[in-house]
Amino acid sequence: MSPAAARAEAKRLLALSLHEGVVSSERVSAVIAAISKKYSAHQLRPVLRAYLASVRREIARSEARIEHAGPLSANDAAAIAAYFTKTLGRPVSPVATRKDSLLAGFRVRVGDDVTDLTSALRLANLVKALS
Amino acid sequence: MTFLLETAHGSAENGHATNPVSELLGNFGVDGPHLTVQLINFCILAFVLWKWAIKPALGTLEQRTAIIEKGLADAAAAEKRLAEANKTAEARLNQAADESANILAQARAAAKQVVEAAKAEAVVATTEVIRRGQEAIEADRRRMQVEFRTDAARLVVETAAKVLEQSLDDATKTRLNEAATKQLAR
Repeated sequence: MSPAAARAEAKRLLALSLHEGVVSSERVSAVIAAISKKYSAHQLRPVLRAYLASVRREIARSEARIEHAGPLSANDAAAIAAYFTKTLGRPVSPVATRKDSLLAGFRVRVGDDVTDLTSALRLANLVKALS
Repeated sequence: MTFLLETAHGSAENGHATNPVSELLGNFGVDGPHLTVQLINFCILAFVLWKWAIKPALGTLEQRTAIIEKGLADAAAAEKRLAEANKTAEARLNQAADESANILAQARAAAKQVVEAAKAEAVVATTEVIRRGQEAIEADRRRMQVEFRTDAARLVVETAAKVLEQSLDDATKTRLNEAATKQLAR
């Protein structure tokens, strides 16, 4: 199977794996079970690889990965996720990670979009402005 | 003459009545026929000499004279031609000298122009080298200024970040996170 065909098949499988716009673990399991029977071993490998990449990308699109310095309350994390849910028009769930090297504030990654409200970024911009 | 007259007078006195001229000639041993023969011989001899000796000698002499005159004329002509050739050579030498002087003057002028052009070119090249050197120095200076400014800013910011990292406690960070959340919501 060619890479293009594998990607097309992975896209179709990803659409089958969504439940109300969110990747469902049950559906993913069902899809994997179905394609394991459908394809032979050498055809299954590229399809699974493309499907895995699609699922990861879709999960990343539905998660707000928050890197923050210092404590971040659950309410703040929920407020951040609500903001991106509203802005992007799809459900986004927060995944917070503490990272004190950011000094203060937080950085949010949703899919390929990054929103940086950290003091580290402001200092870096200050360095660029002074250079 | 006196001797001849005295001889004739003496003969007359001796009573001999002969032709005195013949007697006189006889006294001198002059024999008429013999003299005639001698004259003929002389004429023949003179003719022979004139015909085969003197005339050819004169002809040869005239030829040689003509040759000599021709040689002299040729020599004079040659001398004239030599003089003309000398004059021509002198004129050509003078012309050549003039031409060489002109060529030398032109060559000197051309050399002077070349030297002037080379000087001007050298001045331009030197100016260009100096300009490029100044530009390179200015570029280095600006680059060093930028590097210095960048390094100084980086050091200041790194120091500020370390100070902030040490001075910010969790309460302050929480407050800042809340402020950032509110800023995001706006």
